[in-house]
Amino acid sequence: MTVTPLLPKNAPFSADDIEALNKVVARSTPQQRSWLAGFFAGFEAAQGGGAAPAAAAKPRAPLTILYASESGNCESLALKAKKIAQKHGLDAKVFDMADADMALLAKSKNVLVFAATWGEGDPPARAVDFYAALMSDAAPRLDDTRFAVCALGDTAYAQFCAVGKAIDARLEALGGKRVANRVDLDLDFAKQAVAWSDDALAKLAPADTAASGTVVHVDFTGGAHADDDAEPAFTAETPLEAEISALVNLNGSGSSRETWHVEFAFDDARFQYQPGDAIGVMPENDPELVDQLLQATGLASDASLLLKIQKGYDVTTLSRAAVDNYAKLTGRSDVQALLDGDAFAKFSSDRQLVDLFETYSEKLTPEQLLGLLRPLPGRLYSVASSLKAHPGEAHLLVGAVRWNSHGKKRKGVASTFLADRRKAGSTARIYVKPNRHYRLPADGNTPIIMIGAGTGVAPYRGFIEERSEQGATGKSWLFFGERNFTNDFLYQLEWQDYKASGALTNIDVAFSRDQPEKIYVQHRLWERRDALLSWIADGARIYVCGDEKGMAKDVDATLVKILGGPKGDEDAGRAKLKELTKANRYQRDVY
Amino acid sequence: MTDKRARNEIIKENSHQLRGTLAEGLQDVVTGNIAEDDHQLIKFHGSYIQDDRDVRGERAKKKLEKAYSFMLRLRIPGGLTTPKQWLALDRIASEYANGTLRLTTRETFQYHGVIKSNLKRTMQAINGAALDTIAACGDVNRNVMTAANPYLSKAHKQAYDLGKAISEHLLPKTGAYHEIWLDGEKVEEKVRKAGKSEEPLYGTHYLPRKFKTVIAVPPDNDVDIFAHCLGFIAVLEKGEVVGWNVTVGGGMGMTHGDTNTFPRTAEFLGFCKPEQAIDVAEKVLLVQRDWGNRENRARARFKYTVEDRGIDNIRAEVEKRLGYKLGKPKPFKFEGTGDPLGWRQTLDAKKDEDKKWHLTLFVENGRIKDVPGRTMRSALREIAEAGYCDFVCTSNQNVILANVASKFTSKIEAILKAHGVSTEVSSGLRANSMACVSLPTCALGLAESERFLPELLTSLEDSLDKAGLRSDDIVVRMTGCPNGCARPYLAEIGFVGRNPGLYNLYLGAAFDGSRLSKLYAQDVGKERIIELLDPIFLKYAKERKSGEHFGDFVIRAGLVKATTAGNNFHDNIKLA
Repeated sequence: MTVTPLLPKNAPFSADDIEALNKVVARSTPQQRSWLAGFFAGFEAAQGGGAAPAAAAKPRAPLTILYASESGNCESLALKAKKIAQKHGLDAKVFDMADADMALLAKSKNVLVFAATWGEGDPPARAVDFYAALMSDAAPRLDDTRFAVCALGDTAYAQFCAVGKAIDARLEALGGKRVANRVDLDLDFAKQAVAWSDDALAKLAPADTAASGTVVHVDFTGGAHADDDAEPAFTAETPLEAEISALVNLNGSGSSRETWHVEFAFDDARFQYQPGDAIGVMPENDPELVDQLLQATGLASDASLLLKIQKGYDVTTLSRAAVDNYAKLTGRSDVQALLDGDAFAKFSSDRQLVDLFETYSEKLTPEQLLGLLRPLPGRLYSVASSLKAHPGEAHLLVGAVRWNSHGKKRKGVASTFLADRRKAGSTARIYVKPNRHYRLPADGNTPIIMIGAGTGVAPYRGFIEERSEQGATGKSWLFFGERNFTNDFLYQLEWQDYKASGALTNIDVAFSRDQPEKIYVQHRLWERRDALLSWIADGARIYVCGDEKGMAKDVDATLVKILGGPKGDEDAGRAKLKELTKANRYQRDVY
Repeated sequence: MTDKRARNEIIKENSHQLRGTLAEGLQDVVTGNIAEDDHQLIKFHGSYIQDDRDVRGERAKKKLEKAYSFMLRLRIPGGLTTPKQWLALDRIASEYANGTLRLTTRETFQYHGVIKSNLKRTMQAINGAALDTIAACGDVNRNVMTAANPYLSKAHKQAYDLGKAISEHLLPKTGAYHEIWLDGEKVEEKVRKAGKSEEPLYGTHYLPRKFKTVIAVPPDNDVDIFAHCLGFIAVLEKGEVVGWNVTVGGGMGMTHGDTNTFPRTAEFLGFCKPEQAIDVAEKVLLVQRDWGNRENRARARFKYTVEDRGIDNIRAEVEKRLGYKLGKPKPFKFEGTGDPLGWRQTLDAKKDEDKKWHLTLFVENGRIKDVPGRTMRSALREIAEAGYCDFVCTSNQNVILANVASKFTSKIEAILKAHGVSTEVSSGLRANSMACVSLPTCALGLAESERFLPELLTSLEDSLDKAGLRSDDIVVRMTGCPNGCARPYLAEIGFVGRNPGLYNLYLGAAFDGSRLSKLYAQDVGKERIIELLDPIFLKYAKERKSGEHFGDFVIRAGLVKATTAGNNFHDNIKLA
């Protein structure tokens, strides 16, 4: 017999309300009821006390989920883990390492870490301080702490998952107890990460908690994550097949650049994104390159294998793991020797898998070859449009990557997939990668300063379109850099229109190769420092998008100098910039 | 009463003496363009805004505005530059322009492809070389051309000195140039308060149209005296200039399909003494300022003022303003309009050791550039670095390495050889050829010119070979539109662009530049041009009299009627 939970007639509500509430309660599941109980408990607590909740919720084991995220992957895994934690009876709070410190860590008894490795083995920019503190001698003992670490990385880089590995080792060294083995995940992390989280959380959970019948803790203090953690409908695992409705190289004839404006059209309303988000493109390999790979492994005649690899496998990344596997497979000591000392770094420098196979030209079976390849990852591009301005469309700005190395012409996988092997009318698989730390201010009156070079201008087109559609009145200022004014002024006519309509208040440009000396965006920032300071004083939010090494670093240093005031006090400038970062007023999307 | 004045007159009137909104326009970084009215005003500062017409079609699709850039033309009276100046000009070509130096048909350089953000610094770099671009374009007295090479003889030096003095005297005096380009003091208000005019000569409306002045030393008519508004022809006694024959009312430009417009050869105004020349130049200019047509720009050149008023009225007015009579023109003789290529020695030095050498180098269509195997620009730079000579731009788009000491001639030859620059030209036709810039930068171009003439000449050289005329001097000129920058109506064979790939073919101008040509065939393409000229070359080779030039022969042979004056240029046309 099932008992339907109904409010008694003497409940402190009007008869109408009781009837209304019973309508909902009658068809609710036990889980929903748990949630409601937790919701009200949390709500009262958040209101600053009030009556203690009547429901005698069993105390739940607290869990601290820490993440160090650059592109948002670790953040999204942390948020997923939080949901799974509820199932395991854990009371989870999620913290960006940017907002966490050693004191928080020291009092956390259960810790789950998601850590990304960036560039050449560095922690994500926002996690730098936390990471340094953790590694320092002043780090607290963690003798009562239980932990598990999930490391994210990219096998294309030498220092694969270095940050996660270091955190894992450090937590142990500080006395922490590892409850689940660390996992090191490559670009195809999604499924494995969820499985690992489930396993690690089960181990972190107190042995006697059962999933059912407990009060679910609803976090009102967790901040931004509460309402912004909806998973996109289309992910790397479930992309949307969209039509390419326009494909134009925006650079004028004679340019040294090749930057493609790509418009995707779709009629699936679930494909939602916000300006600042990234759109992932699932590329296909250049069949010529796949063919070379097959030639080098003695599999040239296998057409179905070619197609399979073309669509689903990474054939460019020459990772340590691939060399190791290849050595084991072929039993060649000279291949094995590539892993000694700095031999790998030397050999892999600007080489790809095909070079390995061509150098040693060992025959492989199809299964052996596939075993050496990792799945083909999607490539992310900052969206260059606003859905409000272009319903059913997403626009990207894609720099075609082409270079020569070791006597071979090389091509960027996704960029030339679009530039060379797609045309208007073709389709491609795309998905949304939310970028929660790169968003327009909610308040349309907030001034924005947008700094970008090359394809780094992409999100600003989306920003200005969005603000223009919203009729936002906040001032806007674009700093754009490229090589040559005449041929490389990306979206020039549109900026002219926006300048004329007032949607764009100021624009400054830096074209590095138009004159004998190089002029970059940071030089323009410096020239306009007085006006910039006054905008910042007015509450302006600063955005930087583009190449980390080439531009973002120099922009950062220049902002420090500007914020340092007339005396150029760098420490003060750095502190001010940090303040802005904490206040979400300095947002970067760099790659 | 409605204002019937041409639009440019209003623009000039409202421009605050050529300032317009140029300074503001330079600040607008989102466009390479400037305000529409400023397009007209910037000409007075020596610049045209242009756009690359080759790529017009693709730009909007790429979300780019037109590929705007500026042509910058220098003012170099007499075309003379020092090696130091040459090096500065060469460097500017690399740093701010398209990497080439373009010799114009008026003894100066122009740069192409200077973008707006570089305009000011290019102007400043030019100023740093003690040169400027003031009045190189616009409704003012343009660059003054003088008989090539002031080092050639005493008379050439006197012609050069006069040219330079006239250029300075007739220069606009507005502070606009210094304010806008050289960060000079703002003087407009000051001058106004002092109750003075910034332009005592030009006033607020400048001239109705451009005004061109040249100075010739017979027997060379390299400056094409009859093609210009105002000309001075040296009258020599024992190698000294004892005065000048003054010509007025020449000009090239016309409009296709408008017979009210026509090229015109200059007429003789009279003779003046050396010390009167600057005064004469000023008064002629003032007559055009006051009498010129300010309603219809197509009829605003001085040649139409002379045509419409008559030479006698012009003379009377000039003499009235001078306060004295001009003399009767003295006899002289021109032998040709071309540049004698190769080495020449100073004509009149007393002692042998004072005799310097001068090398006239053929520059195809005036474009000094480096191409694989023929790096002329680098060669000239190397010569300038060594300081072996001064450089003279000629009115035939060539360059003279002037004033070379004997000991350096072989060094110059070695440098040229090392850079693949030959002092030989493939034919007499090519040696006497000129083409304007036209596509892709010139906004007026209707057909290719400098990018087409070389290959056309290569084809015509086959015809010349058949006729045995390869080494004969025949003057050939091409322009992409009827405005006549390369003076095509004074060429023995003239091509004027009408449509892409199609040209009007003119024949019968005098070799010495004294007679205009006549339309011979309309809208002809490359094949047809060769088909038409091939038999004429053969006929000329077979039937010409001794010393008879091609332009005279075609008239005697009845192929075209002689054009005896501008006003019968459009008459007696019988198309082939």
